[in-house]
Amino acid sequence: MASLAVIRAQVESRLPGALTVYERAAHEVFPTGIAALDRHIGGIPQSALTQFCTPAGMSSGKTSLLVSLMSQMTRREQFCALVDAGDCFDPSSAEPAGVNLARLLWIRCGNSVCASIPERTPSARSGDLAARRKLSPLEQAFKAADILVQNGGFSLIAVDLGNVEEKLVRKVPLTTWFRFARVIEKMPAALLFLMPFPAAQSCAGLTLHLACAEPRWSAMKNQETKQISHAQFFAGLLCEAEIGRSRLRKPMQSANGARFTAIPRWA
Amino acid sequence: MLFGCIHVPDFPVQAALHMEMETESVSFKNNAIAVLDGPESLLKIFSCNEQARQAGIVIGMTKLQAEACPGVVLRRRMAELETAAQSDLLACAYGFSPRVESTAPGTVIFDLTGGERLLGSQPEIGKQLAASAEEFGFTANTALAANADAALHAARGFAGITVIADGLEALRLASLPVEVLEPAPEILDTLDSWGIRNFKSLAALPSVPLTQRLGQPGLHLQRLARGEVRRELVPAEPPPSFQESVELEESVELLEPLGFVINRLLHELISRLRERSLATDHLQLDLMLEIHCDHQLHSQNPQAPAADPAASPLPALHRRTLKLPVPTQDGKVLLKLLQLDLAGHPPPAPVKKVSVEVFPARVRTTQSGLFQPLAPEPAQLEITLARLRAAVGEKDDHDRDRVGFPTNTDSHRPDSFQVLARAEESTDAKRGRNRGGQQKEILECLPAPQLVLRRFRPPLAAYVECSPPAPAPSKSEIPAAVIFNGARAKVVHACGPWRSSGLWWDQSGRWQHDEWDVALSLNGVAGLYRIFRDAQSGQWFVEGMYD
Repeated sequence: MASLAVIRAQVESRLPGALTVYERAAHEVFPTGIAALDRHIGGIPQSALTQFCTPAGMSSGKTSLLVSLMSQMTRREQFCALVDAGDCFDPSSAEPAGVNLARLLWIRCGNSVCASIPERTPSARSGDLAARRKLSPLEQAFKAADILVQNGGFSLIAVDLGNVEEKLVRKVPLTTWFRFARVIEKMPAALLFLMPFPAAQSCAGLTLHLACAEPRWSAMKNQETKQISHAQFFAGLLCEAEIGRSRLRKPMQSANGARFTAIPRWA
Repeated sequence: MLFGCIHVPDFPVQAALHMEMETESVSFKNNAIAVLDGPESLLKIFSCNEQARQAGIVIGMTKLQAEACPGVVLRRRMAELETAAQSDLLACAYGFSPRVESTAPGTVIFDLTGGERLLGSQPEIGKQLAASAEEFGFTANTALAANADAALHAARGFAGITVIADGLEALRLASLPVEVLEPAPEILDTLDSWGIRNFKSLAALPSVPLTQRLGQPGLHLQRLARGEVRRELVPAEPPPSFQESVELEESVELLEPLGFVINRLLHELISRLRERSLATDHLQLDLMLEIHCDHQLHSQNPQAPAADPAASPLPALHRRTLKLPVPTQDGKVLLKLLQLDLAGHPPPAPVKKVSVEVFPARVRTTQSGLFQPLAPEPAQLEITLARLRAAVGEKDDHDRDRVGFPTNTDSHRPDSFQVLARAEESTDAKRGRNRGGQQKEILECLPAPQLVLRRFRPPLAAYVECSPPAPAPSKSEIPAAVIFNGARAKVVHACGPWRSSGLWWDQSGRWQHDEWDVALSLNGVAGLYRIFRDAQSGQWFVEGMYD
């Protein structure tokens, strides 16, 4: 044993920390504001990467969940940033849901047109032309997320890739997710991705699968009113969230997911 | 020691005439002029010249009373004109000495010690002073004395040129009325009650009893009347300039070397701001461009348009302006913002002259609380926003910012919002914040999250197959299938229509939608969508998906 300690001391004198076990700090959590979900997952982990996964084109309640989280955070005077790859965020829905829009930085990616480059321009000659090529919305989203993570100051950085095709997200190398996960570990912020499938894999601190939600319609009392389309209205979306992976709770507490109902403004 | 003083009597009147004499050929110099000041409804005579006094004008007279005096020209007092006239007066004094004190509006004192060898004897200097003031358009009194205050009182009290020899101040000033000393009204009343009318009688009073009765101000007045006060001048400083420019020997074509030039200018300006404990939140960069016109090419090809520099489509000046939310003294932040801005808006031609101007502002002194939540540092946030704009673009097709803080506009039109570069808290949000804990409790007790819409921007054009009209009382056609994005989705459930419209008075801006909430089954995946029919065109669109 003595020789082992000597060897250890010799190795550590040359390579400090080489034999030290890497310990992750205990995660604090941000509550989502949905009691059923907070009981189930504990909240969105701080200093970790979180992914909400749901197939494209499916109403699952992921955006309502994100808006509820942003509502909770902005009401606590924390700043949030939303990188919107599909430019699908709706401020008119978010404000009544309690989001303080003055504390939300919105980055709208899309088919932006680069500034026109005249014939005689310094940038054209310096070879910046390639750098100024048109970026795809996915590239824009990752670049924006990178800038935000480097800058700091935001308690939540959400990247909405919900409208991006799954085959494009699959092309994102795992090292990208790993790098994001390691950078966010040292920051008092949550990094959240809305994706069509769990691309970040083991880099994610929390993976939440949202199943296809079940729409609820207003009560139709008799057969006559049932036939009248404007006598009924959409009354809510019954959503179900299931933990795919979590560093907060091991092992999983329940095979069943958390259920919650997202209610429209008029219901 | 030798001090000179130029005093412009009735300065507001002369300042009002000063600009007119420069711009107009007609001179009002010999006219009776009175200057009015005060609120529009209560204008009173603030100052007047000798001719006006002779015409019956008295200080404090109302405008109506002044108009009753014949031949008097009335002018409104203008602070800008007085500032400009004072600058001219200072310029006049700087011609004689570098140490000039701007004592009062219309009065300057300057140090002429050692100036006799250059300017001549004291009476000659006095004449030169008067001539110089005349050249600048002022009718001024000038005085020279061994101490500044004696020169000042002589210029105020005696018309024309006055030269007081060293040691004879008390004797020379003896005849001046005590009002020239500008004492406080209560002291003036006291002196008047004692029968003290001029400098001589004030100077003759015993100092100790005078101090016992009037205090230190009384003693100071007596020393002034005796010409005994010797003080240092407080030199006037020219207004600081926060503009730096450099003309380049060789025009710069690349942004990187241009950054070095700008950095040098910014460094100078920031250090100048720091010396004065100032910061800046507004910066302007002017780049003079070198635009060549190839005359030889034009002569070879006569059909080509004339190469006239004036007709060149490229402007010769490329101007960029930066406005920050908070003042900063950080040159690196300003440089980075300028570099990012120039990368987005590069000058269209090589740069031959660079000019940077910063507008000073007070340094930000607020400090955020220790227990406040994490928030981006304002100056750093500006750089982040500039980088984000470079990554995703500045504006969309509707000329709305791509990066910023969203805010809903006061309209029922769907998807009407603005994106602001600076966060502006709405009144509702402020009110909610003021409620504090109560609001938090309400939020925490909310039974369910609110459902939101994921919008398609722009709305997706769709073809909708409708079922036959339902029997009464509905009579409306119900969507049965929606074809969009190249796929056909069967409508599982539909409710609607709900009509919304607005701007019916505006031909171009009016809108009218019949909205439906439909549950669609597309490739085995269920989605809940909002679709609408544009009543004007009859075209169907998918507005968004509830999620």
